[in-house]
Amino acid sequence: MIRLFTKVWNNFKEYIVLVILVLASLIILSQNKSLQVQKVRAIAFGSFATITSLISDAFSVTDLKRENEELRKINTELMLQISKLRNYGIVNSELKDLLGFKDTINLPLIPATVISRSLSMTQNMITLNVGSKDSVLPGMPVINDRGFIGLVHSTSEDFSIARTLQNVDLKLTVMDERSRINGIMKWTGEELIVVNIPNTFDIKTGDRIVTSELSSIVPVPIPIGVVDEFRKNETGIFSYVRVKPFIDLISIENVFILADVKSKQKENLELNFYKRK
Amino acid sequence: MKFFYISPFLVFFFVLLIQVTIVPLISIAGIVPDIILVTLVYYSISRGQLYGTVLGAFYGLSGDLITGSLLGSAMLAKTLAGFIAGYFSSETKRDMNISSFNFTIIVFICALVDSVIFAFFSAFDLNTNLVTLLFEHALLPSLYTALISILFIFFPFRRRKI
Repeated sequence: MIRLFTKVWNNFKEYIVLVILVLASLIILSQNKSLQVQKVRAIAFGSFATITSLISDAFSVTDLKRENEELRKINTELMLQISKLRNYGIVNSELKDLLGFKDTINLPLIPATVISRSLSMTQNMITLNVGSKDSVLPGMPVINDRGFIGLVHSTSEDFSIARTLQNVDLKLTVMDERSRINGIMKWTGEELIVVNIPNTFDIKTGDRIVTSELSSIVPVPIPIGVVDEFRKNETGIFSYVRVKPFIDLISIENVFILADVKSKQKENLELNFYKRK
Repeated sequence: MKFFYISPFLVFFFVLLIQVTIVPLISIAGIVPDIILVTLVYYSISRGQLYGTVLGAFYGLSGDLITGSLLGSAMLAKTLAGFIAGYFSSETKRDMNISSFNFTIIVFICALVDSVIFAFFSAFDLNTNLVTLLFEHALLPSLYTALISILFIFFPFRRRKI
């Protein structure tokens, strides 16, 4: 028996190892959402990001970096204010009063630096030099002075990984700023498109696309891009809406994480609503 | 002897560091070369198919863990890429495959397999055009990786006995 096993192993060891490793990969693929896997991942990227950040820091001058950070913070706050003001201009002020529109300009911003990028056609990720120690939580929006970049996907103590707009796994509720039409935006691997927009909806090329107020993860409208191409589908019922993003993933260095302050009152209200259902 | 087997694992972290910090700077329209794959092909040819398969699994899994991509997808892709590269590691042709433009062709084949499998797990859905998927997510990155691997042929260390 042992001799047979030895013979089989000697003749087919490459194939046996290949089959075992392929099976292991498939098992790991099915365990992506497991809590243990998430913990291992946090430790792995946290440790590696420590080394990456040293290299990243070597490229930058400390004082200029700090000053730049401050200026970018001001710039980002101004961007949020402009975005807010645009919103005020479009929505009827009387309606806003009725809805009890809250001032959300002074949202806390956590400054961060991109220390590495994992670029591929489908899974663009960035690693940031802030983590759970800096109060960063998964789901927080990552922005800069030009607009929305992505969402924090996972965090370790000192670092975090964010899924960018150019990631097939990031689907976002967005809104046409002019016509207030909502839709789901996703990255196909080649382009950013807003899906399931009926042909009859009012969208024009050049319209600004911002994050929607319907989104439970992005608290204020943040600019994403402009409608680059809008085409009515002659055979189907949905239009083709392509968005050109404001951000350039290759050049981003300093970003901010919008520390979303959850309203306990709102959460309780939503929780009660879901319980009733 | 021990260092002989461990060195590719240590080299990986250095290469990954370059892949996530410097390589994005030379991307063309979002297409980046995969220098981890080039390293994997080099070791697979020089150290055999079994070694290449195991190394591929390690490179893929570590890459998945560190970069945050779908865990297991790169592991599967790189395991198969390492296995295929191992076919070109016969005693007689090993040196020729590493030090000539054969290396670029082998890298291209392995990169194509790697990209197709990775794209299948990370980008494929029912609305995806299969031809576009293969062209933009597999063929173009593979060509770029193969192009970069030409530089690898002229690296001084490859002239040494491995």
